[in-house]
Amino acid sequence: MDPFATLGLPRRYDVDPGELDRRYRELQKALHPDRYTGAGASERRMSLSKAVEVNEAYRVLRDDVKRAEALLALLGPAPGGERETVSSEFLMEAMELREALADAKHARDLSQVQRLAARAEALWAETRRQLAAVFSSLAQSAAPAEVACARALVNQLKYHQRLLDEVSLIREEAEAS
Amino acid sequence: MSLLHIHDPLAAPRPIGIDLGTTNSLVAYVPLLGEATTLLDCDNDPLLPSVVCYRADGATVVGKEAKRLAQDFPQDTIVSVKRFMGRGADDPETKRLGPYRFATSDGPVVKFAVAGDRVVNPIEVSAEILRALKQKAEDELGELGGAVITVPAYFDDAQRQATKDAGRLAGLEVLRLLNEPTAAALAYGLGTKQNGTFAVYDLGGGTFDVTILVLDEGVFQVRSTGGDSQLGGDDMDRALAERFVRAMGFSQGAELPAGHVRIALDAARAVKHALTEQDVVDAEIEVPGSQPLLQRVTRDELDVLIKPLVERTGVACRRALRDAGLSAKDLDGVILVGGSTRVPLVRRYVAELFGREPLTSIDPDQVVAIGAAIQADLLAGQGKNDAVLLLDVLPLSLGIEAMGGVVEKILPRNTAIPASAAQVFTTYADNQTGFVLHVVQGEREMAEACRSLARFTLKGIPPMPAGMARLSVRFDVDADGILKVSAQEETTGIKQEVEVKPSYGLGDAEIERMLLDAYDHADNDVSLRALRQEQVEAERIILATVSAVASDAALLAAGEREAIDAALQALKQAAQGKDHRRIHDLIDQLDRICKPFAGRRMDRSIARALSGRSLHDVERETSHARGIEPHLRPGAES
Repeated sequence: MDPFATLGLPRRYDVDPGELDRRYRELQKALHPDRYTGAGASERRMSLSKAVEVNEAYRVLRDDVKRAEALLALLGPAPGGERETVSSEFLMEAMELREALADAKHARDLSQVQRLAARAEALWAETRRQLAAVFSSLAQSAAPAEVACARALVNQLKYHQRLLDEVSLIREEAEAS
Repeated sequence: MSLLHIHDPLAAPRPIGIDLGTTNSLVAYVPLLGEATTLLDCDNDPLLPSVVCYRADGATVVGKEAKRLAQDFPQDTIVSVKRFMGRGADDPETKRLGPYRFATSDGPVVKFAVAGDRVVNPIEVSAEILRALKQKAEDELGELGGAVITVPAYFDDAQRQATKDAGRLAGLEVLRLLNEPTAAALAYGLGTKQNGTFAVYDLGGGTFDVTILVLDEGVFQVRSTGGDSQLGGDDMDRALAERFVRAMGFSQGAELPAGHVRIALDAARAVKHALTEQDVVDAEIEVPGSQPLLQRVTRDELDVLIKPLVERTGVACRRALRDAGLSAKDLDGVILVGGSTRVPLVRRYVAELFGREPLTSIDPDQVVAIGAAIQADLLAGQGKNDAVLLLDVLPLSLGIEAMGGVVEKILPRNTAIPASAAQVFTTYADNQTGFVLHVVQGEREMAEACRSLARFTLKGIPPMPAGMARLSVRFDVDADGILKVSAQEETTGIKQEVEVKPSYGLGDAEIERMLLDAYDHADNDVSLRALRQEQVEAERIILATVSAVASDAALLAAGEREAIDAALQALKQAAQGKDHRRIHDLIDQLDRICKPFAGRRMDRSIARALSGRSLHDVERETSHARGIEPHLRPGAES
C-alpha cells in the first residue's frame, strides 16, 4: 500500500499537516461507512475497507517515523539483509541518555527528567531535520549511499522516539501518584 | 423519502438516540420538522432513573418506582448497573461500598442474586432499562427505526460488547454505539456551526471521559480520548456515605446492613446535590431502628472529600492533550457534560486546568441523548446525511500477549476507527500444533496489568520446526469500537477455525439463549419480525438503487441497466409477499448485480475527493479564523 497515493499526496517527507487533515476529511466524507448505511451489502463492505485503508494511510503519514519508513519501503527493499546501523557515537549517547533517565526515574527526580526530556527533544528535532534534508536530496536521485543514510537516520529517530515515549510514561506515572 | 411520508407519515420508522447512563437514562429523537428533543414522562421529566427492582412475585420494576423501592429492597434493586458492565465477578467494583448480594465471586460476568430466587447479570439489568425506554418511545412515536446507544468513550471492548448485547436483548436494532463526548459535541456543534478544536469533559455518575476533537465544516474528528470508566459522581457519594455510615455507629470495615448502606448512599447524593447551591446543609437521615441521624456538611468539607477524585480527571485530561499534540491554550472551547459537572469544585478545577471558563449552554444531563438522536437520524436517513460526519478513535491500545508476558501492541490508542491491522506470529517449539493467543487492551507493558479480552486457541497446525509456521492474526475494529479477531496459518494457506473465549461478558450461545427466553412468549412473532425486517431492508435497497441509477446513469455499462431493472422488479414483487427468505435472496441478487456499478461510483467519489481543493475550500479557510469565542460564550448564546 502506498499511503501517499491513498491520500493523493506527493511522495515527500515534508507533509503539510493542514493539507493532510483536509485530504483525510474530504476522503472520509466520500467513503465513510456512515455515508452508506442505506446502500447494499457489497457497497457497504467496499466503503468499510476503503475507510480502513484511508485511516491506516493517515496514521502512517501523520507519524514522522512511519512516514519515513513508508517512503523507504517505496524506494525498494533494504539491500540483502544488511542492516543499516547507527553510528557508535550515536549509540553511546543514546545509551547514556537512557541510563540517566532510568536513574532520574528511580530517584523520582522530576526536574532531571525534565532536563533529559529537553535534550531528547532537541536530538529528536535535529535528527528529524537531517532526515528531511536527506529525503529532499533523495527526491532528485536515489543514490544508494543516501538511501543508507536515510535508513540510519530513521533508526536514530526511532531511538529518540522511544526515549520520548518513556519520558511521557514517567510523567504520567508521576502525575497519577 | 418525502414521497413515502406523504403516503403514510406513521409508516416511517423513527430512529431514536439513547443515553444509557449510570444514574439516569434518556431517550431522544429528531421530529420530522424541528430540533432533536428528549421524550418526557408523565411528570414532564426526561430522566428515567437507571434503577431496576426485582420483586419477589417475579415482577420487574424500572425507573422512579424502582428508585423508591431501593431503600426497602436494597439487595433486589440494582442501581448504577453501568459500572458492572463488561466486568468479571471478581472485579474491584463488586467490593466497593454497596448493598448487593453477588451470586458468584468468579467467572466472566457479575451476577446479582435478587428476589424470587433470580440471578441476573448486568446485561439483563441494562436490557430492562432499555426496554423501558423503548416502550416509552414506541408509545409516543410508533414503530422505531433503530437506535444509537451512547457509551463512555473510555469503555473498553468488553464494556462495549456488553452494551450492544443489552440493546439486542431489549429488542433494539442497534445502529451504532456512539461515544458520549462525541454525541455531546454533535449536539453543540449542529446548533452553532462552529469550527475549531474543543475538549469535552464528561463526568457522569460512574464514568469519566475527556475527548479532544476538531470541528471542521460538519466533520467531527476526534483527535484523542482518555478517561476512567470507574470514576464519577457515585464515588463522591461513597466518600460522603462512608462518613454517614461511621456516624451511624459502624466502624470501618464492619459488616454493614444493606438497608443502611442504601440510606447512607442516597443521603450522600442528596447532600451533594444541595451543596451545589448552598454552602452548608443540615441533613436529617432516617436510620432504621434508631434516632434520626443529624449531619451538618459544609461545601468545604465535601470539597476535601472529593478533591482526590476530581484531581484524577486531570491526569487523563493532560494525557489527552499530549496525545492530540496540543496544549490547553490551543483549544477554542471546553464543553461540560454529565451531571457531576454541576459540582462547583469540578467547574473550578476544569476552568483552572484548561485556563478558560467551560461552556454549559445545553443541559449537561440531556446533551448526550440529543447528540445520539441526531446521529441516529443521520444513520437511518437517506440523502440528508451529507452535512455531518463523526470520525472517532480507539480509546485503549489493543495487543497480544507475547513471550514473557509482554504486550505486543497491534493497534495503538487513538487510532482512527474503523481500523485493521495484522501481525505475524510463529511457533517457538518444534512440531507445535497449536497456538494460544491472549488478546488484551490497555496501555501497560505487561499483559497481566491490562484488560484481558479473549483467549484464542488455534489448533491443527501441521508439525514443523520451530519458527517455521506463520500465523497471521488480524484485528478488525468497527465503527462501534468493537474488535473482531481472525487468524490464519499462512504456510498451509488454510484459514483455521478460531475458538473465542471472551474473558469477560457472555458468549454468543448465552446471548442467543437469553434472546430466545425473551421471545418465549412471543413465539409466533419471530417469523413476522423476520418478514418485516426483510421488507424494510428491501424498501431501503430499492430506494438506494433507484436513486443511484438515476443520478449516475453515465456510469452504467451496456446492458447493466436492464439487468438492474429486472432484479429491482423481482424484488419489488417479492416484497409484497410473505416469504422472507425469497426477499432475502432477491436482495442478495440485486446486490450482486449492482456490485460493479457500485464500485465505479465509489472510485469516482474518491477521485472527486482527491481532485484537490475547490474555490469553496479556499473560501472556508478564511472562515476558520473565526473560532468559537464570539459565538459561544457561556450565557451569551440562548
